[in-house]
Amino acid sequence: MNAAEFVRQAKSGKIDPVKNTKKFLEESKKIDSDYHYFLKFNEDAPKQAKELKKGRLYGLPVSVKDCICVKGLESRAGSKILEGYEPVFDAAAIEKIKAEGGVIVGKTAQDVFGFGSFNVNVGIGYKVPKNPFDKTRATGGSSGGAAGMVQKSELPHIAISESTGGSIAAPACYCGVYGMTPTYGRVSRYGLMDYANSMDKIGVMAKDIEDVALVMEIISGYDERDSTSKDLPAEKYTEKSDSRFRVAVVKESLGKGVEQDVKKNLIAKLGKLKYEEVSLPLTFRYGIQAYYLISLSEASTNLAKYCGMRYGKHEKLEGNFNEYFSGVRSKNFSKEEKRRIILGTFARMSGFRDAFYMKALQVRTKIIEEYRQHFRKYDIVVTPAMPNIAPKFSEIDKMTPLENYMMDIMTVGPNLAGFPHLSMPSGFSKGMPTGMLIIADHFQEKKIIDFARSLK
Amino acid sequence: MKGEVVIGLEVHAELNTESKLFCACPTQGEEEPNTRTCPVCLGHPGSKPVANKKAVEHAAKLAMALNCRLAKQVIFSRKSYFYPDLAKNYQITQYEVPIGENGSIDISGKRIRIKRLHIEEDPASMIHPGGIGKAGYVLVDYNRSGNPLAEIVTEPDIASPEEAREFLKALITLLRYLGAFDPSKNIIKADANISIKETGYKRAEIKNITGFREIEKALEYEIARQKHEGISSQETRSWDAEKGMTQLLRKKETEEDYGYIFDPDLVPIDIEREELEKKLPELPDKKRRRYTKEYRLSEDDARILAGEFSLAQIFEKAVEKTRPVLAARWIRGELMRVLNYNKIDTSEMKINQAQFISLLQLLEKKKITDATAQKILEKLAVDDIDVESYVKKEKLGAVSDLRMIEKYCREAIAENLQAVSDYKSGKDIALNFILGSVMRKSGGKADPKEVKETLKKLINL
Repeated sequence: MNAAEFVRQAKSGKIDPVKNTKKFLEESKKIDSDYHYFLKFNEDAPKQAKELKKGRLYGLPVSVKDCICVKGLESRAGSKILEGYEPVFDAAAIEKIKAEGGVIVGKTAQDVFGFGSFNVNVGIGYKVPKNPFDKTRATGGSSGGAAGMVQKSELPHIAISESTGGSIAAPACYCGVYGMTPTYGRVSRYGLMDYANSMDKIGVMAKDIEDVALVMEIISGYDERDSTSKDLPAEKYTEKSDSRFRVAVVKESLGKGVEQDVKKNLIAKLGKLKYEEVSLPLTFRYGIQAYYLISLSEASTNLAKYCGMRYGKHEKLEGNFNEYFSGVRSKNFSKEEKRRIILGTFARMSGFRDAFYMKALQVRTKIIEEYRQHFRKYDIVVTPAMPNIAPKFSEIDKMTPLENYMMDIMTVGPNLAGFPHLSMPSGFSKGMPTGMLIIADHFQEKKIIDFARSLK
Repeated sequence: MKGEVVIGLEVHAELNTESKLFCACPTQGEEEPNTRTCPVCLGHPGSKPVANKKAVEHAAKLAMALNCRLAKQVIFSRKSYFYPDLAKNYQITQYEVPIGENGSIDISGKRIRIKRLHIEEDPASMIHPGGIGKAGYVLVDYNRSGNPLAEIVTEPDIASPEEAREFLKALITLLRYLGAFDPSKNIIKADANISIKETGYKRAEIKNITGFREIEKALEYEIARQKHEGISSQETRSWDAEKGMTQLLRKKETEEDYGYIFDPDLVPIDIEREELEKKLPELPDKKRRRYTKEYRLSEDDARILAGEFSLAQIFEKAVEKTRPVLAARWIRGELMRVLNYNKIDTSEMKINQAQFISLLQLLEKKKITDATAQKILEKLAVDDIDVESYVKKEKLGAVSDLRMIEKYCREAIAENLQAVSDYKSGKDIALNFILGSVMRKSGGKADPKEVKETLKKLINL
């Protein structure tokens, strides 16, 4: 049952939102004890389900990635440093979900502040979520809890999620669900705890493309509280348009280092569709470097505020402020948080700033242009979503940080350049899902959704 | 060629806006600590800044008024450093492209170059109970956090504390003309870099000097101190206005690294230069030229009146109802004398403009004498009085009744026959003696000109 059908039945009285919410929480907790998809359950959800607006999400359980603020519900972006922090306001996307009658059921697991591709970089003392198909494998990250739960849940449910460099596409691919990352500026970031503000995007994961369309229609739109959000007319994603698509597959994405089954499934999924090959040499050569330089520069300033003074983890405020801040940060930031803060601080230090941070900004402009030149000819550009199937934890342990960062090769391009993209299941390999990535020009989400429908 | 004293200023002027630079919190009002705050100015996770258009407009106009090269866009950056007064541990400011660059202000024939002008947010205020380092803790009040500031950085063109004061006054005047600054609400602060020839121009930076009066004092003190004590290395000092002295904060060894990045939460804002030009008010230079041309004021009068916001304001109101030359003479002469006497700076005067103008009108219509007007003005400068009813109540109206004047004159002539004959024999000065007598009889309320005429007429009969 997809979301629209669920809402129809809830509105007609066939489904009781309160009972359904209770059931959902029970089921989720059972799953969670094995798979660790949630950081926090909303125990008030059944109570809240009594007074819902009869909107387009009436009674539907909605999980929210931990880094998206839900008023009064502990939100810590997966990090121990924000333990105990209850936001004083709802994120813009959450306001819209609530206004349509969606039920917030809890906060889903993630890599700390989105820092990871496998969701193994969890906050100090938190559990690593496990792949719904194989518990020895990763969910993908950083939105691992969201993707795992969407796949595992028997009950209708959608997950509000977030991507900076691939945090929606990667776990959606590894868990075999749809993951939509909109254009940068399409969905307000107000209430999103920042990783890299110039790339952070709130999106959605679901089992059904129609659920993606419905939720995208609801959460999109201009918000004066986020000056990077774009003032564009709303689009009807739920209305299907029959179009013909000019499609291109990126040559580099089918090259070395990409698993055979991944390539095979992608071509099979495209089926009889005519497509051409295009090349994105700059993106595949410099995308990862530019992405990490910019995102870590921004992240290192964003995380500066977590110093144990105003919110989150704190100790007795005493002594020299510098030592106090360092103490709280040393104790509560994980290794990956520290690594990224140090790398990001380095990239923007005077003497290095021009060679790293400023240069990376220029590279981003070039990469946008590289895609654009293809979008003049093609509606849709396709790559695999991830070069592989979800790796085993034992394999991840052996990766160097650099090998780890290289896993983002497919997702970094559109994320860095702000292009909308959808990760869609393309088949299976060794019992594990593979995925394809559908990319379109800025604000062409409608094309992506219609194209995905045509492949279903 | 460097002079004896080399001074450069970094001025922080709080811009006059209703709300803060990046959120809707009011900039003024409730004084209870940490009440004028919201998730944005407290830096809560998930909150996002949105730039205040009014603050941007004020700063852009200031850039134009300072003859700066105006940027095409306002681009904000993050300046990172850890400090308890920064809600985010970075300050949103401007770095690569400030809103204005390469400007200048002219003060008494000298040009002070402006290096850059940029917009930034004010940090929170820190309260040190019992003084810095005394209590072992500080209190932080975020009410001020996020108030809009314009930072104006000069080249080291200032050669004396007096010039520094003049510069600051000229800057405040511009800000007030633009409506970008209200001295009753907004604070202006300066950091001064100062070095002197005798120590080989080793530089000290004095932080946190509030207002143009203090700047002169602080710099005078620091020059004397450097001459007397010398200066070992680059020093950062603070100005203690109460004690009237600077104190060493730290010796600077290395430049701090703020790791600037563009603030990715704030999109560049286009500056509509032509639109702003239309909104730009008449500035001192133009005013000065208009005053000499339109009102036939002397160069000197025009420069002084146009160069001070409050004087220009009262002058322009006055010329709607009285003769410009009379108004200029009384503002520059008597009003400034009275303010001076009461140690009120022209920029801080609170004289009731309407009452001052009705005083000028009474003068113009000869209903009161100069002497009476001076006395009333002295009162008006410190006390809000209604001039017309005061004149009536105190019976200060000029004696314009010619019969009364003639009566006093006849009496005076009769009482001072010696003086009369001296005058007749050519000693013009003797007439003043008789005049004095008439003025006494009238209680100072007769118009001296009128009396002189009458006396001459009567004596020459």
